[in-house]
Amino acid sequence: MVDGDGATAAGATEQVRASTTAGPGRRRVTRGLLSCVAALALAPVVAASRPVPPAAGGDSFDETYRGRHIQGVRLPAAGRSTSDDAWRITVDGRPLHLMRRADGTWLSMVDHYTSYRTPLEAARAAVDELGPGQRLCDLAPGLLDHTLPDGAKDMMGRMGTTVDMDGMDMGGVGAGGTGMRVGGRHGVRS
Amino acid sequence: MAYVRKNVGGLTANERKRFVDALLEVKRRGEYDEFVRTHIAYFAADGETHLRAAHMAPSFLPWHRRFLLDLESALRRVDPSVTLPYWDWTRDRTTTSTPWTKDLLGGNGRRSDQQVVNGPFAYATGGWTIKVGVTDGRYLTRDLGRAASPLQLPTKDDVNWALNDPVYDVRPWDSTVTQGFRNKLEGWGTGSGSASWHNHNRVHRWVGGAMLGAASVNDPVFWLHHAYLDMQWERWQRAHSSHRYLPADPPGADDPQHGRVVARHDKLPPWNDTPDQLEDMSGIYRYE
Repeated sequence: MVDGDGATAAGATEQVRASTTAGPGRRRVTRGLLSCVAALALAPVVAASRPVPPAAGGDSFDETYRGRHIQGVRLPAAGRSTSDDAWRITVDGRPLHLMRRADGTWLSMVDHYTSYRTPLEAARAAVDELGPGQRLCDLAPGLLDHTLPDGAKDMMGRMGTTVDMDGMDMGGVGAGGTGMRVGGRHGVRS
Repeated sequence: MAYVRKNVGGLTANERKRFVDALLEVKRRGEYDEFVRTHIAYFAADGETHLRAAHMAPSFLPWHRRFLLDLESALRRVDPSVTLPYWDWTRDRTTTSTPWTKDLLGGNGRRSDQQVVNGPFAYATGGWTIKVGVTDGRYLTRDLGRAASPLQLPTKDDVNWALNDPVYDVRPWDSTVTQGFRNKLEGWGTGSGSASWHNHNRVHRWVGGAMLGAASVNDPVFWLHHAYLDMQWERWQRAHSSHRYLPADPPGADDPQHGRVVARHDKLPPWNDTPDQLEDMSGIYRYE
């Protein structure tokens, strides 16, 4: 992943990883996952090669929708390795993580199997699904660490089979009885 | 000797009880929540530069096949007689049919807050508290049929539309492809609105509540749904025996999908298996 167009993707990857899970901080970062705390949620860095359709028709929104306070702001491109969109979205002050599809539409952690034209539409759709009194949990940071260079895939595979995630030994016996274990490489835990 | 995965509607009362009890025990042991976390962690979208293993990618089917095997193994460590049943949503199509019964997965969520209040996975039983969720709600939620904006489950014709495509997947191997068995079954469409959600995605939306979000594994119907999809992959393989998982080789360095999809002989994270190794399950299980 270091030549041709791959260089852009790899560069973006390193940016993301460096800011979220680099080095010994990896476990510390992921340890905080899934706890219901307000934190920064970045919409993901997206591929530079893809055409960018108009986003929300602006750089921010701030509205009350069905009694929920929705705020979104497009983050400045500075410091990121691609020119694409990244948004910070909150619902009642809690981060709502968005993912982007290749066609430029957006999906949220709350509504994961449908996508919407703009971050605002995705945020409203998420509010539509929130039950009375329910608040968002922050599931975002670990999800920014999805890409690994080719060389790291082997390590990932080994983690999947041998790493005891902080004592969470799944003891799984999978296909062919080879003793494979469940264990996300992010060490995602509550 | 391969074991048999059965239609959930055909399980005996004893088989239903054993399946439910095994799920509750896996949850009690803390293992179940690790499955929820793994699914969240591996959901990457195709507008990003990440490697996509579980969704919007050719490995959607082998990833979930492998994921199901791990859950099934966990269940069988509790009770070796248990296998994963499948839910044929082309036949059991109403909000009160199998598997939405008190002796299986329980019923629809109540209107006020979508909380599932009957059956073995109701919060009040104490055995199914949501610990890894998108919200701070600790109870399982469902909105079967999507009351506020109703939609129908996919039909046999919808499944056949996918099955009849002889090509497993096509470039650029993502959610935008309109050809190929994989995305016709996974169900990413174009545009917006009801017509844009097919098969797999549409069922997640029909069940609603927890099943609509990143933590969809919290609803045990996740496994029954994916077992049925897994069965369709096997049917597709039988119908198109000269066709196989694609891509056969990793996209080259000049391909925008380079490093972003799992090719036939690539390891499928977080496991050591490759799609090639997961194509033939006949030595492990078969569908009745």
